[in-house]
Amino acid sequence: MTVLLEMKERIKLIYSKSEAFIVPAIKFLLAFIVFNTLNGRMGYMTRITDMKIVLIAALACSFLPLGLMVLMAAVFSLMHMYALSMEVALVGLCMYLVMYLLFFRFSPKDSLVVVLTPLLFSLKIPYVVPIAVGLLCGPSSLVSVGCGIAVFYLLRTVIDSAPNIRTMGEDEILEKVRMMVESILGNKAMLVMIAAFAITVLAVYLIRRMSVDYSWTIAMVAGAMINVVLLLIGDLLYDVNLSVGSVLLGSLLAIVVAKVVEFFRFCVDYSRTEKVQFEDDEYYYYVKAVPKMAVAVPTKTVKRINTPRSGETRSGASRQSGRSVDVERTAPDRSGSRNVPRNGAGAQNREARKGQRSMTVGKAERPQEPDDNLEGYEEWP
Amino acid sequence: MLSEERIILMTRMASYEQGEGKKNVRIGNYFRSDYIALQTLKAIVCAILVFGILFGLYVLCNFEDLMENLYKMDLLAFAKEVLTYFVAMVGGYAVLVYIVCTWRYASAKKSLKCYYHNLKKLNSLYQDGQ
Repeated sequence: MTVLLEMKERIKLIYSKSEAFIVPAIKFLLAFIVFNTLNGRMGYMTRITDMKIVLIAALACSFLPLGLMVLMAAVFSLMHMYALSMEVALVGLCMYLVMYLLFFRFSPKDSLVVVLTPLLFSLKIPYVVPIAVGLLCGPSSLVSVGCGIAVFYLLRTVIDSAPNIRTMGEDEILEKVRMMVESILGNKAMLVMIAAFAITVLAVYLIRRMSVDYSWTIAMVAGAMINVVLLLIGDLLYDVNLSVGSVLLGSLLAIVVAKVVEFFRFCVDYSRTEKVQFEDDEYYYYVKAVPKMAVAVPTKTVKRINTPRSGETRSGASRQSGRSVDVERTAPDRSGSRNVPRNGAGAQNREARKGQRSMTVGKAERPQEPDDNLEGYEEWP
Repeated sequence: MLSEERIILMTRMASYEQGEGKKNVRIGNYFRSDYIALQTLKAIVCAILVFGILFGLYVLCNFEDLMENLYKMDLLAFAKEVLTYFVAMVGGYAVLVYIVCTWRYASAKKSLKCYYHNLKKLNSLYQDGQ
């Protein structure tokens, strides 16, 4: 576990140092995958299936806000639909407009969910979505999940209906529109998925916010079970032909992915939970403090000894001529250190963290004194 | 001379201003009634547009039936039905947006109260320092 925690701290350090490069790179990669998947599944307009167009679009998305990636993905799909049939593009445009005008005002910042949901559906791992969204986002994100599912089923309907549409004549405008609208509205699988995922997101969100121990784990498992049960009920009632095996396997995979998300986002040690009570002029506080699990990343120290001289100071870093000894403290566990209440619990927390800090051995460091003003120490890059 | 307490407070406030505070400050600049009225008005306009799109799609899908029965059907009853759906949809959506915006305004104000309290505290720290 310590190895994993150290790895997490290293990743956080790397991310904090190179965030300006990593975020655009991730956005570029995501946009590239989305546009390539669209071109691969649809591909009716050959002009935009060219890799140069995809690379340019992905490059633009990497530097612009995430909302633009959603817009460009919508434009790509509409262009493919237009190449297939103008009526299909019209129905697609109407559906996108309805989603944007009615639903995006509730969760405009969850545009990533709208892009990821159809992508994960096409990669056959859709059951990760409601659990991950419930753990990381708020209840308004269920709207984005619903929109993502609707987009996926719209695109699937277009792909499935493409052979029929190609055989229809150009004067059969109304028939094409009617066929598309009836296929989308009558798609019971889509409605069952939207209902099941929305309820799962809400359930996971409510459970993980409870103040019980292991609330995140309980939320994940309960969310997966609720999702499976709702999908099976929907399959029984509406006969949507869901594969039970894939639902169960997908839910297990979703729990594994959610566990990884929990490790990075909410890694706490329930065995060191502290409950304190204190009051001020206005309120009486009942506080439950659960410390985060973190270890300091071991750092290298360089000890240079030139000529032996006397007069080394206690503070360690001496610039006296002849001897320079660099004593480097490892990064103390500063997670929540400034938020520690100034009462008896603070001393207990500091004691707990001191024990943790002394785990980073093997390096030249000054032994920690109880009176060290550790919270005031700042390690400058 | 650097005051650690002031720096900690200012860092927290700056981080809030750059993140959640941006949205909350924008909301807090409005009076409650103005903010809710503006958002509800936007919602009504969007709902009208959406109703127009959906009605247009409905007409396209049932165009032949409508054309055949145009002179036989009771146009007044049809118009009443359309109006009922229009009022239900636009009214229902406006009520939903009203509830959501009321909640959003209340939570933004609560968050800003904390921010302004920190601002006062910072001001008093500066005055003490002088």
